[in-house]
Amino acid sequence: MTGFHLFVLDILAVMIIIYLYRVVRGPTVYDRVLGLNGISTKAIILLVVIGTVYGRVDMFVDISTGYALLNLVGALAIIKYLEQRGTA
Amino acid sequence: MSALLAATLPHRTLALFVLWLLLSESYNLLHMAVGLAAAFAVALLNTDRLTSAAYRIHWLRLAAYLPWLLWRIFLSGVHLSFLILHPRMPIDPIMIRHRTQLSNKNAVVLLGNSVTLTPGTLTVEANPDEVLVHAMDEYSAQDVKTLRLDRKIANLFKRTEARG
Amino acid sequence: MGLIGAGLMLVGLFFLVVAAIGMVRLPDVFSRSHAVALTDSLGALFLLAGLAVEHGFSPNALRILVVLALLYILNPVISHATVRAALRSGMKPWRRENG
Repeated sequence: MTGFHLFVLDILAVMIIIYLYRVVRGPTVYDRVLGLNGISTKAIILLVVIGTVYGRVDMFVDISTGYALLNLVGALAIIKYLEQRGTA
Repeated sequence: MSALLAATLPHRTLALFVLWLLLSESYNLLHMAVGLAAAFAVALLNTDRLTSAAYRIHWLRLAAYLPWLLWRIFLSGVHLSFLILHPRMPIDPIMIRHRTQLSNKNAVVLLGNSVTLTPGTLTVEANPDEVLVHAMDEYSAQDVKTLRLDRKIANLFKRTEARG
Repeated sequence: MGLIGAGLMLVGLFFLVVAAIGMVRLPDVFSRSHAVALTDSLGALFLLAGLAVEHGFSPNALRILVVLALLYILNPVISHATVRAALRSGMKPWRRENG
């Protein structure tokens, strides 16, 4: 099964690159925030799959949980700042 | 802290402690004691964050609601995939100002979360009595427009008497 | 068990690819956030459920489901906040007529 897991990891990496296009091109800053949010979701899934490949899901699940919570706080901070500044 | 909120404290501590046990997987006395203390502290600190404790949720009905929501998410996800993959991309985004009948904040939060989680609909503004929803096309909007989601969620909450 | 898990993961990958295509094709931030919702809800659901099925009934499968529940609670909050900020800063949603 490891080969299939590596295939899943490859696809996830390609998806992250596509989202990165949206982050770089952007037209507005909200597109960039949205793209970053999508990337972090992929990263969370990626971490769980890597944990399965290495046989250490217990450890990698903790890391991805922490990643999800940090992403929430970071994204909300950026969005609150943009909303108060009020520019597109 | 009202008596009602204090009454739910043991339940919330227990739920957090079970989560701790699941994530830590070390069952010696020291770790479990630390976990229990941490769960109690978190439950106590977050007591004031709870809104409208006069409404309690029906856990059984919630357990029945979640599979229905997953099924709706799947259907609208397939529909949205069709819209995106279609060569001409026949999307027609609309904004719906939806007056909700739900009277308590927790229910509106659950409504907003369900709407956003469903592909094709998205909560833009959420107030206690009004929700602004952005929908991809008429098909996606039907659950919100026909008040079906509203009724399902209103069913999940029961009013409790103000005990002591 | 392994085959069912692999099938579920393939379905999840399909939704991830569709969402990425939508991220590139769709016209404005409001409709793009629908694509992100598609990844978050269906892509993550099928991928993580497939992984959990592969692990069988074990603490590890339950842990993966905890991550999934966390994603389901947290991600709508972020997309709602993003879109609300976009609307309040004066962006107009894309309409069929003027596109």
